[in-house]
Amino acid sequence: MNPMERELQVRRLRRVRPRRRFVRLSGWALGLLTVYCWFAGNFRVDILGERRLRNLSRFLGELVPYPLRDRFDLRTAVDWAASLLSERGLEAAGTTLAIAVAAICLAGLVALILSLPAARNITSPEAFLTDPRPPRRRVRAAWTAAVYLTRVLLIFLRSIPEYVWAFLLISMIGPSAWPAVLALAIHNAGILGKLGGEVVENLDGRSLSALRGLGASRRQIALAAIYPVALSRFLLFLFYRWETCVREATVLGMLGIVSLGYWIQDARARNQYDTMIFLVAIGVVIVLVGDLVSAIARRVVRES
Amino acid sequence: MPGKPRARTWVLLSIAAAGIWAALRLDLDPRTILPNEGGAQVAREFFSRALSPALTYESAVPVPGASPLLVKALGAAHRTLIFAGAAVSLALCIGLPLGFLSSTIWWESDPAGAESRSMRFLRRKVAPLVCGASRTLATVMRSIHELLWAVMFLAALGASNLTAVIAITIPFAGTFAKVFSELLDEAPRDSAAALRAGGASPVQVIVFGVLPRAHSDMTAYAFYRFECALRSSAILGFFGYPTLGYYIAASFENLHYGEVWTYLYALFLLIAAADGWSGSFRRSFAA
Repeated sequence: MNPMERELQVRRLRRVRPRRRFVRLSGWALGLLTVYCWFAGNFRVDILGERRLRNLSRFLGELVPYPLRDRFDLRTAVDWAASLLSERGLEAAGTTLAIAVAAICLAGLVALILSLPAARNITSPEAFLTDPRPPRRRVRAAWTAAVYLTRVLLIFLRSIPEYVWAFLLISMIGPSAWPAVLALAIHNAGILGKLGGEVVENLDGRSLSALRGLGASRRQIALAAIYPVALSRFLLFLFYRWETCVREATVLGMLGIVSLGYWIQDARARNQYDTMIFLVAIGVVIVLVGDLVSAIARRVVRES
Repeated sequence: MPGKPRARTWVLLSIAAAGIWAALRLDLDPRTILPNEGGAQVAREFFSRALSPALTYESAVPVPGASPLLVKALGAAHRTLIFAGAAVSLALCIGLPLGFLSSTIWWESDPAGAESRSMRFLRRKVAPLVCGASRTLATVMRSIHELLWAVMFLAALGASNLTAVIAITIPFAGTFAKVFSELLDEAPRDSAAALRAGGASPVQVIVFGVLPRAHSDMTAYAFYRFECALRSSAILGFFGYPTLGYYIAASFENLHYGEVWTYLYALFLLIAAADGWSGSFRRSFAA
């Protein structure tokens, strides 16, 4: 191939490359949106003003643990950390993990149920029938409405952040662990329900049709075929969301539930920044432990 | 059917055991979920307004000069969008290079031609260190929740719109770095190998061999994180920033439950729009 021919070939390939208008328009819209955000946001770069810098240096100075400010001594440092851990650190870390576990269990159960009405293949008048009689229009509309109502409900549940749910629930339920657990469960049920519905929709329809042909009802199909086959993917999503639950459970404490966030907020209110940063570090450790457990569990599920 | 159901059974049993442990640890009695009389009253009043959000202010004494409620809700949603857009774009600027450095595509495979000794040393010994360091950095960034970053910035620098954006940016950039590096590492290597065998330079291999195989997943993920950023930006309102969370908290504390629902629905519409956009973007990208 001579250079001329090659050049022509490249041009031809470039002309016929797949281009989608929607993707291109979205790209431009996003770019414009970004520029607009930075101009309209009134983000003055005043974080490096003199007052703020003084504030910052004071803050950094107070990050050093209180007993160590005069001179560093490893023994004192260990004692300081150990006393913080035994006073509230370990207790709060346990509570944080427990909130995340309880919430994801609830969310998983709810999502398991809601993923069926969110899936168009089972929630339809002619579910898995190979040779369906055309249903009456009103019947079909009712089934379709059920799917869309479920989906809107799921979007609503997940579009309100956990923190907002917890804030609203805490004044109704009071300062037990329930508001945090329910808040996390509600939000994650919305996410897991959507993902679960997609899993159910993407299942291989042939085996389900075979069951239906043998006269199985929807419930029997769900229990005997859909759940067993979809379970692995459900579990993968469950663990993936559990990681986020651990992060969020830490933070929900700032609303008054005694997880790590509560003590972080408490330390901040007392201007004990050394304690605050230590508790934040414990939060990092919990998140890492959560990620590790989830990674191991996901590997077990994937290999089974 | 998936084989070996035994491991899965163990996982399910462990989840059940963990759930029971958590319920006992937290003293989760199903009876205490039902609030006392005062709480029940709040719950009834709050949820009774679910389908009738307020269209005008509920306070008995109108605030002179205040803009109409719907305009206010729109403004709050607008500011929520602005904080989120700024944070995600900044997070991408940091997360893309950090994700690239955290991946193995730029150092793991041997180049086609001869390699000088110093280059070889850099690639074999220094590059893994750089990669590990940027992975660690990304992990620390994303292990601290955006609200904790915000609290720390408030303590260190005081309130400022820019610190709010940076508070969201840090964990999002860390997450981008982690996910992008995984996507780059897991992208099919065949075209990269072909280019390398054809004598392409390392830069060409990455730009034309690796990036095109990963960039659709990366774009889709960035879109999804934009939706998450909208939620984080709304929550920052609880710390005094003028996003939707601020108005939700204020109206709820004034017992104006109809207004709370108005703001909740504003947030819902914002997220649903982002969700719909990213959904159709993913579909037309995958097609």
